[in-house]
Amino acid sequence: GYLPANVDRRESTLQRKRKEYFAFVEQYYDSRNDENHQDTYRQIHIDIPRMSPEVLRLQPKVTEIFERILFIWAIRHPASGYVQGINDLVTPFFVVFVCEYIEEEEVENFDVSSLPEEVLQNIEADSYWCMSKLLDGIQDNYTFAQPGIQKKVKMLEELVSRIDEQVHRHLDQHEVKYLQFAFRWMNNLLMREVPLRCTIRLWDTYQSEPEGFSHFHLYVCAAFLVRWRKEILEEKDFQELLIFLQNLPTVHWGNEDISVLLAEAYRLKFAFADAPNHYKK
Amino acid sequence: MQKHNQKEHLYKLLVIGDLGVGKTSIIKRYVHQNFSPHYRATIGVDFALKVLNWDSETVVRLQLWDIAGQERFGNMTRVYYREAMGAFIVFDVTRPATFEAVTKWKEDLDSKLVLPNGKPVPTVLLANKCDQGIDVLMNNGIKMDQFCKENGFVGWFETSAKENININEASRCLVKHIIASESDPVQSIEPDIIKPHLNSSKIVSCSACFKS
Repeated sequence: GYLPANVDRRESTLQRKRKEYFAFVEQYYDSRNDENHQDTYRQIHIDIPRMSPEVLRLQPKVTEIFERILFIWAIRHPASGYVQGINDLVTPFFVVFVCEYIEEEEVENFDVSSLPEEVLQNIEADSYWCMSKLLDGIQDNYTFAQPGIQKKVKMLEELVSRIDEQVHRHLDQHEVKYLQFAFRWMNNLLMREVPLRCTIRLWDTYQSEPEGFSHFHLYVCAAFLVRWRKEILEEKDFQELLIFLQNLPTVHWGNEDISVLLAEAYRLKFAFADAPNHYKK
Repeated sequence: MQKHNQKEHLYKLLVIGDLGVGKTSIIKRYVHQNFSPHYRATIGVDFALKVLNWDSETVVRLQLWDIAGQERFGNMTRVYYREAMGAFIVFDVTRPATFEAVTKWKEDLDSKLVLPNGKPVPTVLLANKCDQGIDVLMNNGIKMDQFCKENGFVGWFETSAKENININEASRCLVKHIIASESDPVQSIEPDIIKPHLNSSKIVSCSACFKS
């Protein structure tokens, strides 16, 4: 997360950051119905009940916390503001922090409002800073016209054309564009494509990897696509291909599947990252 | 299985409008015959397919492109709009601001997409969530007819994805207009107006990031 490397400073940093967050809340949150900010707030308000995954999001206490986190982030980052998809990105952090206080199996039915107010405040502030740190590395994904995403989708296409020409050609032949399925992979960091438990496992690696969210993610996406090469090559029409790619059957995925995916992504990174012409046509 | 003389049409349809107006819900209702109040916000574009037995000799396959409501893509929407034959523009009757955005969506669509004959694609306006009983805009059907005429919509419907109201009807209306525009390419609804439109070669080369 956002803690300093020096162990001695951790506790004080944590306290300071939590205070800082609630100072932001005090300073800005009342402005959510002001003319300049009401559009942002309204969008967030509409999107909270439409987050992925379904767990937790319908509890009023959770809604309230997420609205605050997203609103504060949006007005402190005017270059991007709130963009659909960012709402999903709070959830893994929030769930991990909440899990510290409950039995692991219970998270789906857990009543968040049963936690003490002080604990909830700490979870809220910590989730905010973790999400902020994540977004700092990928902010160009969410600025106007989302140039970061355009670039990464293009890079994914280029990468796949080198690592699995057959799959690449198959998609191309059936006029499937990478943007049509991989936009969401970039915008929501695969959260929509795999179950939440897998996202948490995946992001764990991203956080320990230099430029995990902004760079290594690309190799994970490539490994993820090629993972379905058999199914992709069997589909012989645009419609079926796109429906398959937008609804990949990962519902039963667990840690094991993510480990395999990550291993493959590492392999691709080592083979291709520093060899931009490797297998290039 | 296909009858000997059966014709097949494939049409790409866009579903656009502000966020949270119910685009995804309308498509899920139309394609899967179900409804949930908790669909996730669409990211980028979602894709669905609906097959219609139009008449005894025609099958119509509709590719439905459910496009995320947040206008953040800039020129990226061009990639999604390409080669569409018709569109639904959706607003939410309980939120007047989403109706005000309708003309903006229509202008965006017409500026980025024209039929091969240079005309705008047939577009139907959907006043969704009409089950909510809030008729702020609908109290005057004549006004809506006038609005559609002025803004180049081929028709409008009050719809409810929740209660399954008018969705099939709206789709038939749109398909009817698409078939008509296909079979009679020289017919012009507004013969005296010359509309500036983008050269199709521009669409390919518009973005430095997305040249293919």
